[in-house]
Amino acid sequence: MSNEQNNPLSGEYIPETFIPHTESHGTKKLWRTFWILSFITIIDFVIYFTFGPSMARNITFVAIGIVKAILIVGIFMHLGDEAKFLRWMIVLPAAIFLSYLAWLLLLEGSFVSTY
Amino acid sequence: MSNSATVSTKTWAGGRSPFNVSYGKLMMWVFLLSDAFTFSSLLVGYGAIRFSYSGSATPWPEPSTVFNHFPFAHGINLPLLFVSLMTFILIFSSVTMVLAVEAGHRNSKAEVAKYMVYTILGGAAFLSCQAWEWTQFIHEGGRLDSNLFNFTNEAKIKADHLKLFDHVHWELADKQPGPVPFASLFFIVTGFHGFHVLSGVVINIVIWLNVVRGTYERRGHYEMVEKVGLYWHFVDLVWVFVFTFYYLI
Repeated sequence: MSNEQNNPLSGEYIPETFIPHTESHGTKKLWRTFWILSFITIIDFVIYFTFGPSMARNITFVAIGIVKAILIVGIFMHLGDEAKFLRWMIVLPAAIFLSYLAWLLLLEGSFVSTY
Repeated sequence: MSNSATVSTKTWAGGRSPFNVSYGKLMMWVFLLSDAFTFSSLLVGYGAIRFSYSGSATPWPEPSTVFNHFPFAHGINLPLLFVSLMTFILIFSSVTMVLAVEAGHRNSKAEVAKYMVYTILGGAAFLSCQAWEWTQFIHEGGRLDSNLFNFTNEAKIKADHLKLFDHVHWELADKQPGPVPFASLFFIVTGFHGFHVLSGVVINIVIWLNVVRGTYERRGHYEMVEKVGLYWHFVDLVWVFVFTFYYLI
């Protein structure tokens, strides 16, 4: 089965229509990710009712959220299986911009109520 | 490959995709990246506005005192339970989506169609839950331009010590205007996410129809299912953070 397409007129190869051949890696890993995600959500639930509101609890929730994000993007969205350049093209801008936004919020956010 | 002579082995030498990915899928990733920025701006805006109410005379309400309802359990204080159910629904529809993608890799038309239907049903269930939650919130006084949730610490302590079935009485009393952005941002952020879910369901239905009609079988690959799958998982990803910042923190 050829996934590449050629220009119907000139017969030239068109890189833009390139579709890489994909193979199934089975469903075991996918179901395992599903159970891990469900289990982590239950841990969220348990932490919420075990500990009162505190900064440590908030940091834990955000950390758990990031773990969930890595599982969803890396395994469900198959970013972990993609080419190196695609991985970095997605992860780097997101990581830089989002940490900058979060840093600004933590730095400037508390000033808003004081003025 | 007839063009093998022109294809270099170097990544950026041309003649092939440096990302080893089709144009459509690459563009879907770029779109999702930009959408991630939109959602993070909304959430950071939420954080900044919530920050500005610390120490204010009208404190930001505890989410657990507002979103504490469950269908058919009226008057019982059940914080976080309903949103956790919504989270599970979305995680489950995410796994059925990725199973559809996996079946597409094996060119199994019947299985792709089956898992797409499960995903569509999961999305519809999530939207129904959100409609119920919005109805409840509006019924109790949440509006885009006003908010009747103003819980002082005293009211919060009182609520925590109420017996299970007394909650409904407390709910109806002590209502005073609270921070307006609490309600408006709830509608904006969950509404923007819900609109993404709605578009995801519509796109999933279109792709499912194409699967059933054999469009992708004739094309020889199920890459469209992969692309719509990326979008669907992104919607799940955003919900993880809406859940964290809106209901947990």
